[in-house]
Amino acid sequence: MAEEKWLKVREIFDSALQQKPDERRGFVNDVCGGDKTLLAEIESLLSSLDGAESFMETPAVAKVAGAFEAEAKVLEKGKCFGHYEIIEQIGAGGMGEVYLAQDKKLDRKVAVKILNERFSRDESNLQRFIREAKSASGLNHPNILVIHEIGESGDAHYIVSEHIKGKTLRAIFNEKTLKLSEVFDIAIQSAGALCAAHEAHLIHRDIKPENIMIRPDGFVKILDFGLAKLVEQQAIGLEKATAKQNETAKGVILGTINYMSPEQAKGERVDERTDIFSLGVLIYEMLAGRTPFTGDSVSETFANLINQEPQPLARFAANVPDELQRIVSKMIGKNKNERFQTMRDVVTDLKDLRENLSLNEKLERVASSGTQATAVLPATTGDANILTAETQYSFSLAVKRHKPLAALASAVLLISALALSYYFYAAKNTPVGNKKSIAVLPLKSINTASRDEIYEVGIADSLIYRLASIKGFIVRPLSAIRKYTDIEQDPLAAGREQQVDYVLASNYQIAGGKIRVTSQLFNVESGQIEETYKGEKDTNDVFAMQDAVADEFGKLLQSHFALTSGTPSAKRGTENEEAYRLYLQGLYFNDKRTEPDALKAIEAFEQAVRLDPNYARAWAGIATARRSIANGLAPASNFGRDTVIHEQHRISMEAVNKALELDPNLSEAYSALCENKLNYEYDFAAAETACKRAIELDPNSPLAHTTYARFLFGPGRRFDDAIAEIKTAIDLDPTSLLPQIVYTVCLTYARRYDEAARQLERLAQRNPKGAVVHFWLVGGGAMPGNDAEAFERLKRFQILAGTNEETIRIFKTAYQAAGWQGVLREQAKISDNYNSALFLRACIYAQIGDKKKAFEYLEKAYERREHWMAYLQTDPRLDPLRDDPRFDEMVKCVGILQ
Amino acid sequence: MENNERLASEITEMLRDWSDNHHADSADALLKLVYGELRRQAHRYLQKERSGHTLQTTALVHEAYLKLIKQKDVSWESRSHFFAIAATMMRRILIDYAKTKHRIRRGGVHSDVPLENALTISVSETDFDLLALDEALNRLAEKEEHLAKIVELRFFSGLDVAETAEVLGISESTVKRDWQMAKAWLHRELTR
Repeated sequence: MAEEKWLKVREIFDSALQQKPDERRGFVNDVCGGDKTLLAEIESLLSSLDGAESFMETPAVAKVAGAFEAEAKVLEKGKCFGHYEIIEQIGAGGMGEVYLAQDKKLDRKVAVKILNERFSRDESNLQRFIREAKSASGLNHPNILVIHEIGESGDAHYIVSEHIKGKTLRAIFNEKTLKLSEVFDIAIQSAGALCAAHEAHLIHRDIKPENIMIRPDGFVKILDFGLAKLVEQQAIGLEKATAKQNETAKGVILGTINYMSPEQAKGERVDERTDIFSLGVLIYEMLAGRTPFTGDSVSETFANLINQEPQPLARFAANVPDELQRIVSKMIGKNKNERFQTMRDVVTDLKDLRENLSLNEKLERVASSGTQATAVLPATTGDANILTAETQYSFSLAVKRHKPLAALASAVLLISALALSYYFYAAKNTPVGNKKSIAVLPLKSINTASRDEIYEVGIADSLIYRLASIKGFIVRPLSAIRKYTDIEQDPLAAGREQQVDYVLASNYQIAGGKIRVTSQLFNVESGQIEETYKGEKDTNDVFAMQDAVADEFGKLLQSHFALTSGTPSAKRGTENEEAYRLYLQGLYFNDKRTEPDALKAIEAFEQAVRLDPNYARAWAGIATARRSIANGLAPASNFGRDTVIHEQHRISMEAVNKALELDPNLSEAYSALCENKLNYEYDFAAAETACKRAIELDPNSPLAHTTYARFLFGPGRRFDDAIAEIKTAIDLDPTSLLPQIVYTVCLTYARRYDEAARQLERLAQRNPKGAVVHFWLVGGGAMPGNDAEAFERLKRFQILAGTNEETIRIFKTAYQAAGWQGVLREQAKISDNYNSALFLRACIYAQIGDKKKAFEYLEKAYERREHWMAYLQTDPRLDPLRDDPRFDEMVKCVGILQ
Repeated sequence: MENNERLASEITEMLRDWSDNHHADSADALLKLVYGELRRQAHRYLQKERSGHTLQTTALVHEAYLKLIKQKDVSWESRSHFFAIAATMMRRILIDYAKTKHRIRRGGVHSDVPLENALTISVSETDFDLLALDEALNRLAEKEEHLAKIVELRFFSGLDVAETAEVLGISESTVKRDWQMAKAWLHRELTR
């Protein structure tokens, strides 16, 4: 029976393919008669084939090429490479293998790195790399690896360098915890080497523990100058090559993102300051034993790098001087303008601090030989480099003043106490946005006879660690809550003292090899218990027990807050880490509101769905980004190309349908659906239904509120409601650009021009490149009143956006000759030349009184289905046309929401 | 040249052994031979490929592979056998490779993978999942083994339509027709 059906399907499918493409549907309909199952089966096969042009057309053997390549590369002992004889392989990485070899000419041991084929294939990149590597080596800096030779033998490119007997910092991390003095040694030497390089305009771009070698005598050598750039360019090259070959197989290559600066991770242009960031991360890791933006996955690391502030070092290491914390924080600032601006400054500050520390150490010796401070200060150990916790805190900047030593000794203690309390004061008062702060109290034993710190503090520590990994939480460090160990403390009082929103108070009981933990989450303000957790674990493996408790509780808390606040992390929608990372990347680009960024967003989303075809949110992302392209984003020169609009709309709707098929309750998909109904189909009733549904499904979605606002100030004709919606969106996501743009448009459409002008200024500050575009888009030109003011604003925005001088001059002349009307006439010329959106041209012609042209353009804009037509009824720039009967007809044609 | 001749006769020998006895051992030996030769050739080609050339690794390996399996001095019968085995083998090799990669990505072998590699997101080589294709192909074979065979020959073994028709002893138009059906069906399986 099944076989019979299969044969039938095959038969019809085969003959359908014999038909002309546009006749297939009809043919299949006829042949299937009334058999709907059969019809559906054939149709789904036909449409599957439609999207499968390239599917399986490249032989599978292509996929093992990489494996072959990798395997083919390993060289064997005794093989000669020029006058170098391979002794053994000593390392391998993304860029090639490293071998220990004997230089037979000069009779010395050298390291030979053989570059991977794909990194040495492009001659010009290779030449650049060789130049950079040679220049770095030519600096003759003692802390930069000396390169003897770069060359090619037979078929391979190789680099011969001095052979360092030592370990990479990575290897050292795996072995031991570094002493503070060692951290300073490594940091200062590395910073010094980079400083010399930067002064010669060489950027390393790939500072990470694998690239720092430490000799047994503590001497630092930095490896692989310039290689990162080579990789980067190859990555881009590959991307381009693949893109040419196959539109769907684009890709991004990222290296180890743990050490990348945000700008580097985002693929933006980098300068010297990227090395400052990476070195900062390295110093952080040397002190804390972990990198500052580590997440459980690459995607999370990426998200943390972009969004999260790192935890204070004191959280991981008790002995970090405040001043060192400050230096590291300044090195790893997300905004490169807020970092140290030169490596020279880093070196200076690090050296100063080290000097002060050793000064203080001397102080300490004086102090311990007879002042009252001895009671408090622990005795220093024999090792001059080991500094203990208490003494570290005393290196506040005040020490720099070199007061008489003995008098200073006690003052130091006081200052350090002040510094410490200031630190916590500052921590409490840092603006934290919507984040929830929480203090985890040490556990209390129900049976006081069986108290054990490993449970009291150990579990608290695991909890702190786990909670800190949840986005949206500010967790007080262990050092802040430790003091509650011995006090019978009212949790709410502790919460008030810590100035947190929540306190987690727990107790435990041990019996029969089991530990039972009960935790209660107090809302400090309301005094209510919001969540209770009970867990029972074996005590055999204490660490496993601690982690299990922390993990269970973390999950509980995450879902608790996901329910009430809709934390996005609770609904990733994919199990695939890479897909999630790509999705985040897509969102990031999508919010930049330019066409190239939208294309990058699409690329990221498309890759995400390739990795996880069931990833509904990524499909919705595609839908939104495609819609953005159809809407015609900045730059203005790309506005409105009709084929693009129709095509993008089609793809966008396909993605909407796919997303809804996978998740019928996905808010974002409804937002995208609304946009398509609103901006292309001009089906305003359907648009309203869709965006209301989007809000209903996720009342905390900024996108949903933004989309609804766009509906409201257009066909909805409810400006106050639109403004209320967009304000909600901004509250939900103050960092996103789109709601800010829409807010400006809202105000303009509401004819609240003064407020619109102020908002426009803010927007231009945030998005200077888009300044001029926004000026025209949001109706800067429409704002009636003071021409001089409008022109001043235009000039400023042109400068902000980097408009060329010629254009600025043309506008100036036009303004001087004919005032604002002159500017508009110039704008009309420019928009014709630049093929900008027809609707916008209509707006300009309306304003300069050429109604005939204005209506012509409106008609064309309607035919082309420009998204602006949805706002025909309310756009203030068209006000001069409103009493013309042709306008009413146009409005009727587009449709009016009843 | 000499090497190729030796290889060809070795393959013929093994094929004969395999078709006479159907020993699993001889299939395995053949697989090793093919795999080893592939790797060697890939290496040689890659080394030969100088900077500035645009030829892709993929194309090179493919070329090497085709050279290997299209030894003209092997009898027709043996060649057909060989194609059939090679297709199955290639499927096995590729799926194993994909599994390894999959495992690495899932983080299953974290400790064995250098951090750098684990965090490197490489250009996606396919726009679909090979493992999923493998499973779907098994399901297709249950419906109609003949279609699965065509996919093995065309996709895994890299034969063109004419070669596939020759091996299966059917017309080219049949191959084309069946290929469309297999593509439509598998593509639907992978995208639903």
